[in-house]
Amino acid sequence: MDPQQIKTLIDAMASSDLSEMEYSQDGWTLRLVRHAPALTAGDAPRVPAAAATRAVADRPRVAPVVESASTSELRAPLYGVVHLGPAPGEPPFVAVGQPVKAGQTLCVIEAMKVFNEVRAERDATLQAVLVTSGQEVEAGQPLLRFE
Amino acid sequence: MFDSVLIANRGEIALRIQRACRGLGLRTIAVHSEADRDAIHVRQADQALCIGPAAAVHSYLNQAAILFAAEVSGAQAIHPGYGFLSENAGFVARVEEAGLTFIGPSAACIRTMGDKVAAKRAMRAAGVPCVPGPDSTLPDDSAAVQAIAREIGYPVIVKAAGGGGGRGMRVVNDEAGLLDALSLTREEARRAFGNPEVYIEKFLLHPRHVEIQVLADSHGNALWLGSRDCSLQRRHQKVLEEAPAPGIDAGVIAAVGERCAEACRQIGYCGVGTFEFLYENDAFYFIEMNTRLQVEHPVTEMTSGIDIVQQQIRVARGERLSLTQADVSCSGHAIECRINAENPETFAPSPGLITGWELPGGWGVRVDSHAGAGYRVPPYYDSMIAKLIVHGATRDDALARMRLALAEMRVDGIATNLPLHRDIVQEQGFAAGGVDIHHLERWLQRRNGA
Repeated sequence: MDPQQIKTLIDAMASSDLSEMEYSQDGWTLRLVRHAPALTAGDAPRVPAAAATRAVADRPRVAPVVESASTSELRAPLYGVVHLGPAPGEPPFVAVGQPVKAGQTLCVIEAMKVFNEVRAERDATLQAVLVTSGQEVEAGQPLLRFE
Repeated sequence: MFDSVLIANRGEIALRIQRACRGLGLRTIAVHSEADRDAIHVRQADQALCIGPAAAVHSYLNQAAILFAAEVSGAQAIHPGYGFLSENAGFVARVEEAGLTFIGPSAACIRTMGDKVAAKRAMRAAGVPCVPGPDSTLPDDSAAVQAIAREIGYPVIVKAAGGGGGRGMRVVNDEAGLLDALSLTREEARRAFGNPEVYIEKFLLHPRHVEIQVLADSHGNALWLGSRDCSLQRRHQKVLEEAPAPGIDAGVIAAVGERCAEACRQIGYCGVGTFEFLYENDAFYFIEMNTRLQVEHPVTEMTSGIDIVQQQIRVARGERLSLTQADVSCSGHAIECRINAENPETFAPSPGLITGWELPGGWGVRVDSHAGAGYRVPPYYDSMIAKLIVHGATRDDALARMRLALAEMRVDGIATNLPLHRDIVQEQGFAAGGVDIHHLERWLQRRNGA
């Protein structure tokens, strides 16, 4: 299974209304879950409330979920620049080992002058930071790992 | 007289400026961020220099880097395009100190027009009609402010002298809200623009946004090139523009246009510029002047037949205008749609890889764009990826051509506002012409509510 194939499957799922899909080939199994029960994008504060909710609702949040009993990964809801803190030089929103509450801001993804806050969907503890602040991230790229 | 131009911008306008330079036989120097190293205008430039990382503050807004690039490349002039440093008087002064030509007006003109109160005073002096209200900042005495507002009549709008482009203003409906609005706007203005001065004007309820394009040389000649209507806006951002402004008597426009040209002569303006007006109940009210090339300049090019960017460069070279006002005649109607990488429903930005790209064409169709299949729209800058412009013999003809062009155009891989534009050009109110600046937002609200 190559990345192109995975991408094709993600696109196929995104254009459908499936909530879950499993695909096996040559000993590989890929499971795609919509609205993964992990951590997902919250409302964007600089977008009007109605638009923000729809922006999130309209965007197919399809990401391959790494199957593991104890950890979950937060993935970028869109292509952009990730900021782990509220401003350059300020401490990050969350530090490794720190517990987070549902609704708490975890990072911000900047795209075309719009700052999209990404919030925790449930309580968890930050295990690892997988990106550097200011880095360009792809939609679906893992940003933070929680346990 | 310069024969090389450093283009201190990116995207479609960098390419547009490069084409104008080439048409005049000038050498072009592209400066770009790390995110734009594969841009078409960078590839096609006689010389290209990387001036910093992707974030604009470290590249396209980095004055020292741009001036240094000019020095090492031997560029003799700098074209700022629009946005970025195009209306930064401090930058213009540094360009001039370095012995280079800034393709635009003098630092003094930019400074005057950047201070909205000074601009209003200059316009009144030149006989340009302004929004009712004093052309001075407000006094500290509360009773005096209340008296001024009462004389204007509510609703009024409190604006920051250092603001513009829809930022730093607050509408006040009655006297009870005046003083709070005043202190809030002062505080915001102090933080955002470093200038706490505010002024008040009559707030117009249903105005259109109508603007006049001007062109002036350094020999005291100034022309106006017709009107544009940019009333279709969302959050103060223009979405679609047209020329001329529909349904306004040509004689009335000519009278205002002549006042604008006269204002240019009085303030010693050189280059291209735009006088923005609110238009309500058959009257024009000046709001601000943009001292640069504008995104929507092509609609005026299509109706006037004048290459505005080439003219801008020629007057910066010290040439005398070869046109007189009698030579300027606008024919037909032109419409421009700003195609943005954004969700057409939610307006969420949509940067990313363009996988498919089909452009409309044919008689009267023009596309100004730096994008194409395989182009990755970067997340660092604004979301405009193309301007689709059509010209027709009449407004209905242009509208029909735009409908076809929008139907033909296809962008795959990212979301664009093409579907929104397709809806707009079918919408009855817009098709009838002459809608006010709130029309699009009202229509979007109705649509989203339905």
